[in-house]
Amino acid sequence: MTLQECYSIIGNYNEVMKRLPRETMVIKFIMKFLDDKSYENLMTAIENSDYQSAFMAAHTIKGVCQNLSFTRLYESSHLITEALRNENPDISLISELAGKVREDYEITVNTIKTFRDEQ
Amino acid sequence: MHKKNRQKILIVDDSTMNREILIDMLHDEFDIIEALDGLQAIKTIKDYNTSIDLMLLDIIMPEADGFEVLAVMNENHIINDIPVIMISAENDDSCIERAYEMGVTDYISRPFNVSVVRRRVTNALALHAKHKKLLGIITEQVYEKEKNNSMMINILSHIVESRNGESGMHTLNIFSITNVLLRKLVEKTDKYKLTSKDMSLITVASSLHDIGKIGIPSAILNKPARLTAEEFSIMKTHTTIGSSLLEEMAVYRNEPLVKVAREICRWHHERYDGKGYPDGLKGENIPISAQVVSVADVYDALTSERCYKKAFSHEQALNMITNGECGQFSPLLMECLIESHADIIKELQAHSNEKIQENQLKNIIDELIQYDENDNIINPLIQIEKDREKLRFFTMKSEELQFDYDCRTSVVIISEWGAKLIGSRRTVLNLGGNDKCILGSKHIQEFASVLKTLTPENPETENHIIFDTINGKMCGKITARTLWENNNSRYTGVIGKISGLTKIEM
Repeated sequence: MTLQECYSIIGNYNEVMKRLPRETMVIKFIMKFLDDKSYENLMTAIENSDYQSAFMAAHTIKGVCQNLSFTRLYESSHLITEALRNENPDISLISELAGKVREDYEITVNTIKTFRDEQ
Repeated sequence: MHKKNRQKILIVDDSTMNREILIDMLHDEFDIIEALDGLQAIKTIKDYNTSIDLMLLDIIMPEADGFEVLAVMNENHIINDIPVIMISAENDDSCIERAYEMGVTDYISRPFNVSVVRRRVTNALALHAKHKKLLGIITEQVYEKEKNNSMMINILSHIVESRNGESGMHTLNIFSITNVLLRKLVEKTDKYKLTSKDMSLITVASSLHDIGKIGIPSAILNKPARLTAEEFSIMKTHTTIGSSLLEEMAVYRNEPLVKVAREICRWHHERYDGKGYPDGLKGENIPISAQVVSVADVYDALTSERCYKKAFSHEQALNMITNGECGQFSPLLMECLIESHADIIKELQAHSNEKIQENQLKNIIDELIQYDENDNIINPLIQIEKDREKLRFFTMKSEELQFDYDCRTSVVIISEWGAKLIGSRRTVLNLGGNDKCILGSKHIQEFASVLKTLTPENPETENHIIFDTINGKMCGKITARTLWENNNSRYTGVIGKISGLTKIEM
């Protein structure tokens, strides 16, 4: 699997190559994304109904997705960030959006792992 | 690695990923410090102080967010010292607007292009470096000018007070007391709407309060006994003489400094109850400038020795003034005098040129801080203009040859009146040799060797001198002061005056 093929599943290859100067740098950071704890933080915070921490975690994921052009995960993390910005968030909406984030996160992480293992 | 010369960038972001992307593109050129949230950022700024050259700041963070960091930086004025670039995924206009309002240099929206961020960082650093350099130049200029300012005041004190047999300290003391009283006054009330510029004007103009004495016969000025009614009525005219002198000035009479000086000259002997002179103005009809200088004048007169009296102690002076034994003043000013009495004593005891400069410089630096960037540059220009005005006035009215020698350029500048008297040009190259030029004269050469013995601790000298001019041999009393720079390590020139210039008939 090439980086380009990897990105065809998780995001936009051309866009990330415009932002970061080299493929090696892109690879370095998508590997780091595997260790990033923001996703776990988001899910734990939602379980604990700690919506302020959840907002920050979601916001961080959204920012990282923007920089690395993870278009798929960006969409769902953006939606949940906005839903959590509300001081009294709609709990059923949050759990629905969290499900979507989980789905996109798993696809993203699994694709990166496949890419890594084939290197 | 030349760690020392590298600029430091503080990266504030709660996301490790985000920090690492930024570090990756900046660590080749810069030293990086990281902070994981707003609270850490504030602590880091305090620890490193202004050795941080730039800050990249996220908005949404735990503990304190980016705006809270900015608020703290604004409170401590650090925002002027460290340029901040905000980087955030928050892209709505109100957020960006707010960041700019709180003083950030730039705002970068996520997602960003790495090379663009690097350029914006470099630009922000270059801009800030330029700003710092400009501010440095201005501060230096202001300092230079203030140094000249206080020397001019010193010279003026001698001119006005030498006729009085006074020490020259009176003008300096009034300067300081006026400054302290004005600061207290604006602290207590805003009814006079005094800006720091006004305060500076009044303080500087206070030096001119007695210029009218130049028109009073010295027999009256220096009479050790009580003046007769007739003599006293002549003495009183120093107020109107002073203000007319200033009114007659063709060019500068509408300048703020001259206007304030006119108020002070004319009305510094008015009384709050209307029983003063020359116009019998009452209460707040007396301009606040004249009111303040009037208190300062009386206070210093009481605490100084005069030909007709001994000096009173500070406490006696305060009691006599507040009891109404020495005139009637506004109750508010009396409060100011009482409350700032300790400061006044401190100022007068620690009296020196340096002190005055510091006070004046403080006024100006205050202004610099308050003003926006354009005004920063305009303000010293206004001050320089004011200087020229004052210089011209002094040189016109004093019958002395004043000179200013800068040893770095070997140029001597002579006052207009003095140059005319000795038949010289106003600007002379100090190359000696030319026996038509005063500087080539044997006595001047001898005087130059006296100057060489002076030190920063003992910078002044006074001598009788004879020298040749185009208009013949002349004699006079020369008073000079050497100038030093770089913590007094470098000799840079001499300023001074020759008074009592007389032609020697051969």
